Amino acid sequence: METILQLLLGNTLTRLVFFPAIACLPLLFFPRRATNAVKVYTLAVSLIELVFAVLYLFTHLGADGTFPRVGEGRYTWIEGYGIRYELVMDGISMPLVMLGIFLVPIVLLGSWKGIERHWPAFGASMLLLTTGVLGTLLAWDLFLFYIFWEVMLVPMYLIIGIWGGERRIYAAVKFFLFTMAGSLLMLVGILWMAWTFQRLNGGVWSFAYEDMLRLDFPVHQQVWLFAAFALTFAIKVPMFPVHTWLPDAHVEAPTGGSVILAGILLKLGTYGFLRFALPLFPKATEVAQPLLVWLALIGILYGALVAWVQDDMKKLVAYSSIAHLGFVMLGLLAIDQVAWEGALLQMVNHGLSTGALFLLVGMLYDRRHTKKFSEFGGLAKVVPLFAFFLIFASLASVGLPALNGFVGEFLILTGVFRSLGWPAVVATFGVVLAAIYLLKMIQLTIWGPITKDENRELRDLSFREVAALVPLCVFMLWIGVAPETFLKPSREALARTLTEFNAGLERPEVAQATLRPTAMISETGR
Amino acid sequence: MTRADLISLLPEMILCGAGIVILLLDAIAPKLRRSFTLLAVISVAVAAWGAFEAWRGVPGPSFLTWGGLLETSGATYALSLVILLATGLCLLASQGYLRREGILAGEYHALLLWCAAGLLLMLRGTELLTIFLSLELFSFCLYTLAAFHRRIAIASEAAIKYFLMGAFVSSFVLYGIAMLYGATGSTRLAEIGPKLAGAEGIPVGASLGLLLLVAGFAFKMSIVPFHAWSPDTYQGAPTPFVAFLSVAPKVASALVLYRLLDAVVSGGVAEAIEKWTVVIAALAVLSMLVGNLLALAQRDVKRMLAYSGIAHMGYLLLALVVMDRGSLMPVIVYLLAYVLMNAGAFTVVAMLYDRPGEQHLISDIAGHGYRYPLLSACLAICMLSLGGIPPTVGFFGKYLVFLNAVGDGLVGLAVLGVLASLVGVFYYLRVVYYLYMKAEERQPEGLLLDVWGRTAAVVAALGTLVLGIWPWELVQWLLEATAR
Repeated sequence: METILQLLLGNTLTRLVFFPAIACLPLLFFPRRATNAVKVYTLAVSLIELVFAVLYLFTHLGADGTFPRVGEGRYTWIEGYGIRYELVMDGISMPLVMLGIFLVPIVLLGSWKGIERHWPAFGASMLLLTTGVLGTLLAWDLFLFYIFWEVMLVPMYLIIGIWGGERRIYAAVKFFLFTMAGSLLMLVGILWMAWTFQRLNGGVWSFAYEDMLRLDFPVHQQVWLFAAFALTFAIKVPMFPVHTWLPDAHVEAPTGGSVILAGILLKLGTYGFLRFALPLFPKATEVAQPLLVWLALIGILYGALVAWVQDDMKKLVAYSSIAHLGFVMLGLLAIDQVAWEGALLQMVNHGLSTGALFLLVGMLYDRRHTKKFSEFGGLAKVVPLFAFFLIFASLASVGLPALNGFVGEFLILTGVFRSLGWPAVVATFGVVLAAIYLLKMIQLTIWGPITKDENRELRDLSFREVAALVPLCVFMLWIGVAPETFLKPSREALARTLTEFNAGLERPEVAQATLRPTAMISETGR
Repeated sequence: MTRADLISLLPEMILCGAGIVILLLDAIAPKLRRSFTLLAVISVAVAAWGAFEAWRGVPGPSFLTWGGLLETSGATYALSLVILLATGLCLLASQGYLRREGILAGEYHALLLWCAAGLLLMLRGTELLTIFLSLELFSFCLYTLAAFHRRIAIASEAAIKYFLMGAFVSSFVLYGIAMLYGATGSTRLAEIGPKLAGAEGIPVGASLGLLLLVAGFAFKMSIVPFHAWSPDTYQGAPTPFVAFLSVAPKVASALVLYRLLDAVVSGGVAEAIEKWTVVIAALAVLSMLVGNLLALAQRDVKRMLAYSGIAHMGYLLLALVVMDRGSLMPVIVYLLAYVLMNAGAFTVVAMLYDRPGEQHLISDIAGHGYRYPLLSACLAICMLSLGGIPPTVGFFGKYLVFLNAVGDGLVGLAVLGVLASLVGVFYYLRVVYYLYMKAEERQPEGLLLDVWGRTAAVVAALGTLVLGIWPWELVQWLLEATAR
């Protein structure tokens, strides 16, 4: 009990993870009509969480701009199975954690008017989702990771299902079942690994990440385990051909749901590959690499081409997500330091620029209740501020130099070219296509004559809406002009994971599962 | 008859005595009827104390009383408590329903308590005729209770169906006992095992007898292909009673099934063990698949829960496919989880549906999430737990069962199990989305949301969550209790 209090009150990861969940409780007691109070309260909680996050970041950020691995004690949770409560933040999870926390107040501001009913439930769902996401990113124990991974599903399901569009239930159930389908198989994989571990470890159980890294499976078993993990993460990313839930979820979700989904939830898939699927099963990764590279390439081109032909702004942005995440996957599959740095940065970039695009589409939808291109045109004359932000976010997404997207894509392509060769060439077409469809969107909505009379009376962005967009744009520019600040914290952690991966690749083939004394990642100290 | 014998029978005697007292009070002072719930719940609590007393003095891993007819062990104590928990939840859930329907009477409580006594007795029986007698004791109570809502037609239909099939199965069980006795010369499970080992090969009579017995208890647990009664019966029987019917008999039958398989294993004939492994695996797979797939098609929430119960018993059997002492703990945890989430779900259903004689369509609770926030939240938690979503005890139970299966090398069965439970998630979610995502169609009339029923729902939902987050103390205790 004392330790729980200490963890919750101190400047710790536990506080970061559980503060939003605990702050949900007062929402139960707000009077039914006090919608504004609920909004302000939820926003305040998310801002306090942001302060906590910044505080944590600057406590641990080194003077040279690197970020060490920081963890807090290992506490036994379910003793007999060696299941531990252990949270660790390192250079890989740090940017995503910060992004996740940073997006929550923005999402709340963006949903201020769009969400009309049941605000207490919406606020609670958002805060619980934050807890789930942060827990997933920080869990250093596979069982704990799985729990958070599943916990995250329920609030997102509610967000899509309660506040979504017309086909919201279909989309929500599809989202839930797709994600669950993968993760249940991953659960069997995790159980298999933990069981093998205890068999080799004299009956002492563990689900700890470092212990799982010590397991060496023969290739034919690795392939199965990798398949279970990779399927889970591929669904979340989403990779072609298991991407079909994403357009539905995005189109039906309310603006806030789309932003959080694109901004952070999808990244958990790529994070899962980087943290678990690749380093745990290096040999299987080598076997599956050609297939996955193909799928990533198909994702890039397919996502872009489908985005091109959409007549609905939100669908366009949704399909562009598939293409962008394909880039990230390609970067991860290159197994190359530069490509990984680019991929991690691109995860953040996509969260910022796509988040901003979804917000903008939502703001337009709040005014006109339509997202069709045919309903717009010439908006630059009516709503110049809106036009500015839309162009800014689109250009960031396209990869215009001096904005964030360029850095990420350039690093990925460099790394991929170095290690894989030709796929980089194919992927470059994806960049061209991105320019085509995003410029098409800008052209059809902002430029040209005003075709519809309803559009002449549109209000420009309010102060609240600008306040939601400006922080995103500041970071897009900042990452674009000074990327090193954002790359440096992750470099060491990525290098360590890469070393671990390569060591696993070079290890001699084993006939049956064996256990090594220590994992490389744990050797480098905590 | 020694003092130890009497003490070992303490919980059953308390329950039977309390039943009689309530029945007498009902005749003498019918005005006290509303307090029967409290009385019955107290007597259940006292019976739990009795079970503790009976277990506390046990020297060694298990203790036989009444000349070896009854066993008291950690496992029987734990499962007794599970059954008493189910009884308590059912009692709490019942009062509001019975008052609303105008059928509040002492018989209900008395029959329920006797039923619990029969279940506790069967749980502990190590001799086949004792098991049969207690099976009949609780079965008769169940038949009567299923027909308790006399005025509605489907209740009578449900009870008749249940009775006819149940009576048929009772004769199965009796015939099985006779054949087993004929083949081995004993009705004591502890002696049957070694006798089987002594025989050459496996005597046909013994195999058939065991098969009939397994079929009988599989019927009580509603395992495919012996499941057909449960959806019809659940649909017609009084809903709060279904909270009991759908869990308690399964708990006791599961342990009897364990004992039967244990007898086979202790017989040590490799061929027999192998064959029984296949049989149980087949039953498990069938139950998981059929239960989940048929539940998908249900529009009536009670029928849906009946099929989901079939599927859950399939998961439970996964733990029994490879028999060893270690499978007892997962089984007990799974049963406890099942009691909490299923009884919780039926409790809420009993309170939120106002027309017991008609279909309980899932769509009838559309939008109730905002009108009845507390009960709906409890129902949603129970549904998520039934679907095996963490951090609920439903997930932890599945985790233990699947871990057991993976540990026994049955990875294929575990994968099948998780895929089946994925199907399950779909129909459990349907309840959640009707609660929260659909607009309200009809406001039920004349609901009686009394404090007893709310307590039952909250206890079940909270228990589901708390045990899901802190399961280890329970598991540790069970490991110690079942190992010694």
